Amino acid sequence: MISNKRHGANWIPASVLMIGAVGYVLVARLLDSHRPKIQTEIQQESLYLSGNALKRMSLGFNGLVADWYWMRALQYVGGKILSAQGSIQLDELSQLDMKLLAPMLDVATTLDPEFMEPYLYAAVVLPAIDESQAIRITRKGIAANPSQWRLYQHLGYIYWQRGNYASAGEAYSEGAKIAGAPAWMQAMKARMAAEGGSRDLAREIYGRMYEEAGDPKVKDMARVRLLQLQSMDQREVIRKLLEIYKTKVGRCPGSWQEMAPLLRAARLPIADGGPIDPSGTPYKLATNTCDVDLAPTSTIPQR
Amino acid sequence: MLGRVLAIAGNAFREAVRDRVLYNLVFFVLLLTGAAIFIGELSGGQERKIIVDFGLSAMLLFGVFIAIFVGIGLVYKEIERRTVYAIFSKPVGRGEFVVGKYLGLCLTLLVNVLVMGAGVSLALVYVSRGLDPLVWIIWPAIFLIYFELVILTAVALLFSSFSSPALSALLTFFVFIIGHFSSDLKGLATSLGSAVARMFFNAIYYLLPNLSNYSFVTPAAHGHVPGVPHFAASLLYALLYVAVVLAATILIFRRRNFK
Repeated sequence: MISNKRHGANWIPASVLMIGAVGYVLVARLLDSHRPKIQTEIQQESLYLSGNALKRMSLGFNGLVADWYWMRALQYVGGKILSAQGSIQLDELSQLDMKLLAPMLDVATTLDPEFMEPYLYAAVVLPAIDESQAIRITRKGIAANPSQWRLYQHLGYIYWQRGNYASAGEAYSEGAKIAGAPAWMQAMKARMAAEGGSRDLAREIYGRMYEEAGDPKVKDMARVRLLQLQSMDQREVIRKLLEIYKTKVGRCPGSWQEMAPLLRAARLPIADGGPIDPSGTPYKLATNTCDVDLAPTSTIPQR
Repeated sequence: MLGRVLAIAGNAFREAVRDRVLYNLVFFVLLLTGAAIFIGELSGGQERKIIVDFGLSAMLLFGVFIAIFVGIGLVYKEIERRTVYAIFSKPVGRGEFVVGKYLGLCLTLLVNVLVMGAGVSLALVYVSRGLDPLVWIIWPAIFLIYFELVILTAVALLFSSFSSPALSALLTFFVFIIGHFSSDLKGLATSLGSAVARMFFNAIYYLLPNLSNYSFVTPAAHGHVPGVPHFAASLLYALLYVAVVLAATILIFRRRNFK
């Protein structure tokens, strides 16, 4: 009798538990779907605490807090790229209004000054958003890690991208003095002076970045830039071939098939009779201007 | 005397095991496994560093909670259950009782830290797809964490010898927090103009443990090992500080009336 009474009493809380759990999950989903969108100004609100304050407050967990800010910065950049819904390169994010990226990278590197990846991000992503912050964070990294030649490489890259070849050359040269720095760092100073804006130098810079980057997104950006450079070379060759065809035939070809022998002779990669870019997408023939261009579907960036 | 201390220590260890204190290892392993699997997606190629930061920080945090909550219960529970009367009716000194209880919890923490350290090492092997130098490099930092926990356990025991469990937990947690601000206290003391204020902050600095000496997680994640002088001095500081705190605990405990 007592046992039955107990069972009778148990099904009530058990039912409340089940129904209540289902109920609150449903209400939570309802709240989520009706939650007003957070204003951009609030989302972009400055960080409350400086890196130094956080370092004091982290009670020895500063490395972990730095990791947290680093992952937050990655999510922030990733989220902005996704919301832009287009193919944007990591080094061309100026239109995405990323006010918080510099403070996040600054906090991460203040909490853990030896953490190298945020410096790489500061050099690759930040210049398009805030060049002075990119240089400041990289220089802060150099001050904290004077034996890291890679930070000079990052600084040189920032200056090179901005077209300041003299400062870029200086940065590479300073880095070359550090023990363990590769020999090409020293050669960069002379190359910056002689061929600052050349494609070959760009190829070398992105090639080094591709080899050394740990972050898959930075690696991919360097890879895409290398493919872009390769595509620029190919387009230059194709333009010359178009000129030859025009001179020979007296008009622009109506399709790639018409100049297929020329393309084959130039050893360009061809598919379905037409040249393809390094991403495997056929080039577009602009018959009205007699020019070659990247197809809109190509993953090679225009700029 | 040593036999009695070791018997009490063994008993305290068994009690901690019976109280399922080591169950926290299961949570730790689950946390670490989850981190090892998912962090790769989020960290931008920084899995190794984050596993070390995360693993060793979790080890410190779990250890601090065990040191505080088990540490304050060590003596209090014996008094509450009145088993302390039975113990002291035997030829066991109060000092032996305190030291034995303390060593028992230190043993529990050691087992905890060693298993967690092995867990972090295995997670590193997993994320590095092979033997990583960090697997060995992190161990001095793990022992520094253990020294910090040993100090906190002694502090928890001291507070529990004269205060209620809730207040003891709070005070020990404050010591943990202020212990990490110690270097700032010293800086404050040197920068103050007033001699009294300088003396006050200097006194606090030397009275409270300087736990920042034991924070080596972040450098370890970058492959740094503490120098032998730093490691040895940290161990010596821990031993001396624990000796002083345990002596104070014994003095307080001896004044309590269990008759």
